[in-house]
Amino acid sequence: MLDLFAYIVMVPMVYLAFILFVAGMVWKLVRVFRSPSITGTLGLFPRELPRPLAVARDAFLVPSAFRKDRVFWVFIVAFHAAVLFLILGHCELVWNIPALQVIPHRVFLGAGSVGMVMMIGTLYFLFRRFGAPVREISVPEDYFLLIILFLSILFGSILHLVDRLGIGAMHVPVQAYREYFAGLLTLNPRLPVMVSYSPHYAVMVIHIFFSNLFIMLFPFSKMIHAVFAFFAYSTARR
Amino acid sequence: MNREKIGTITDLMKSRLTKPMQYYLDLCTRCGLCYDSCHVYYGIPKREYTPVGRAETLRRIFRKYFRPSGRFFPYWGEARELDDRAMEEVREAAFSCTGCRRCMVNCPFGIDTGYLMTMAKLMLIGNETAPEELVILADSAVEKGKSIGEFKEGFKSVVGDLEKIVQEKLGRSSPDGLIPMDNGGASVLYAGLAGAHSIVNPAVIFNAAGESWSLSFFEAVNFGAFLGDPEKMQFIANRIVKEAIQLGVKELVITECGTAYRIQRHMLGTLPFKVSSIVEVIDRYLREGRIKVKAGAISEPVTYHDPCQLGRNGGVFEEPRRIIGELCTDFREMTPNREHNWCCGGGGGLVALDNEKFRVQSGLVKRDQISATGAKLVVTACENCVSQLDTIKSGYGMDVEVKYLTELVADNLLL
Amino acid sequence: MSEEIKVDATMDLKGLKCPLPIVRVSKKVKDEMQVGQVLVAETTDPGAHADFPAWAKTSGNEIVKVEKGDVSKFYIKKLK
Repeated sequence: MLDLFAYIVMVPMVYLAFILFVAGMVWKLVRVFRSPSITGTLGLFPRELPRPLAVARDAFLVPSAFRKDRVFWVFIVAFHAAVLFLILGHCELVWNIPALQVIPHRVFLGAGSVGMVMMIGTLYFLFRRFGAPVREISVPEDYFLLIILFLSILFGSILHLVDRLGIGAMHVPVQAYREYFAGLLTLNPRLPVMVSYSPHYAVMVIHIFFSNLFIMLFPFSKMIHAVFAFFAYSTARR
Repeated sequence: MNREKIGTITDLMKSRLTKPMQYYLDLCTRCGLCYDSCHVYYGIPKREYTPVGRAETLRRIFRKYFRPSGRFFPYWGEARELDDRAMEEVREAAFSCTGCRRCMVNCPFGIDTGYLMTMAKLMLIGNETAPEELVILADSAVEKGKSIGEFKEGFKSVVGDLEKIVQEKLGRSSPDGLIPMDNGGASVLYAGLAGAHSIVNPAVIFNAAGESWSLSFFEAVNFGAFLGDPEKMQFIANRIVKEAIQLGVKELVITECGTAYRIQRHMLGTLPFKVSSIVEVIDRYLREGRIKVKAGAISEPVTYHDPCQLGRNGGVFEEPRRIIGELCTDFREMTPNREHNWCCGGGGGLVALDNEKFRVQSGLVKRDQISATGAKLVVTACENCVSQLDTIKSGYGMDVEVKYLTELVADNLLL
Repeated sequence: MSEEIKVDATMDLKGLKCPLPIVRVSKKVKDEMQVGQVLVAETTDPGAHADFPAWAKTSGNEIVKVEKGDVSKFYIKKLK
């Protein structure tokens, strides 16, 4: 029974998450592009920088948050920088990427700090919502996304840290991850013994379960800000 | 609320689903950074007067009818069904918002709450609960556009009387032609407002500069935009565009009215003539030496209120400061200023509504800002701002004078 | 003057800023006047000479007389 559940999470649910994510994103983008444009501009003044630079500044330096709340700003920037490392780190679990090994390191990138930053970040974002005034505007979606994200990162971090620190001699070789992902990518899914018989397996299943859930919800929730923010920036800097 | 009404309102919402509307409706993360960036919230600290509060009032209804999450799991984003109470909240959100877009500067994504409120306003039209005052004003403006021929003579004859005032101010020998109308071949078409000050002072300045100009038959202000009716807005704006094309002018100059400037300048796309604010034109005349003012004529402390639609939403920041700099010896900036300046609370058609108590309350931050400068004279370049600053002044018993920039210039011209 | 118009109410709109004259007049006519009654609106706005007739046309009221001057007087008859 548990084996079946584990298999569903590790294979069919991953496919489902992937399909929902891609289809959802395409649908969301197509809907925006097919909507009528506006006449004139909604841009703000002054226009100090050329548009692409202004968009880059807004997106990467978040000046509005910097002016308003320095602590929040630090968490926003650290969290989103960590997301970047997180994505790169996972890519290395899927493929061997020599370019990333310019500075030789053991997979996963960041030696556990990425997960730490993101966990502290999600907790901060969550606790922020417990107090006024942000509490008044929060809806279940806000809490739910943060909680599943936190759980996903927590179990992912355990997976990595336990391995790195060699606790209880727990170890899943990178090669096993790559075999698992290669199976998924070639539509020939398999669970390598080094994965499914590893003492890590339960932790891994939980990690992938929450990650799947998060990815499925991504296009249909406020997570769409990852893409739409850039549209809004370029509208404001037009 | 019956099915049919809900259908009417949701159809109107659909008609407003432009590209920016689509992403503004989906992308807010409710981070709360905008919370206290609204002047109304400063004066009346309630959730519904925060930018995100206003936007969520609209979004919750939107999700219910346009997003799967709202349809199938309404609790997920607290989606809300349309009913009379919901529409009452929409009205409160839309017509307590001046569309100043200060929150847009303070949103980490730059979400335009003022633009979101245009959808809310359209819903109110569908629900027949849009403010009656604005409906009347927009309809009259449309009617004036349709049958201007009937009203031309009456208007022309009173403008003739104004020419005498202009003559006196300029010290000319004859009043004839000081306020030209229907002046084919003029390079400038000037659109004023109903009040004499919006015609006389600019006329003095145009004549002093030797400009070839023509006064528009139409008031510059756009009540269609205040009401939130995109078709009426377009029609009202086009009245002046048509007149400008007919006369073949090179430049359309807009009076001290923020909304009119933003709409004619930034919301109509490409036009076959230039659109400027009277403030930009005065600054140009001064720099080109076409007019001269009594330098340093005013020694009492002066501050300038950036009208939102002229500054943050229009791009006119430095021109008024240069003009005031020539006239005044003790200029004091408000804090914050320019794109971060607080809205006075008069925009969005709010000064036309029966809401004086609300406007005094929502003007609290402006009162504090002005008081902090210690200025005795508050200069601004927008009719709505002047009205609202006067309301704030009397509401809090402030010892200041509020003046139009054109008035300040016209009164201190070196002729 | 051939006949004296019976005036039922007078409103002072002198010096009011845009767009208050029309707002005030229209409110008064709608809420406080009876059909057939005449309101005199006194205004200094030149724009009123085009705006009041346009308003009367859309709202279905009638401007029965205009006295032009530094302060202009509009005689508005409520028709519905």
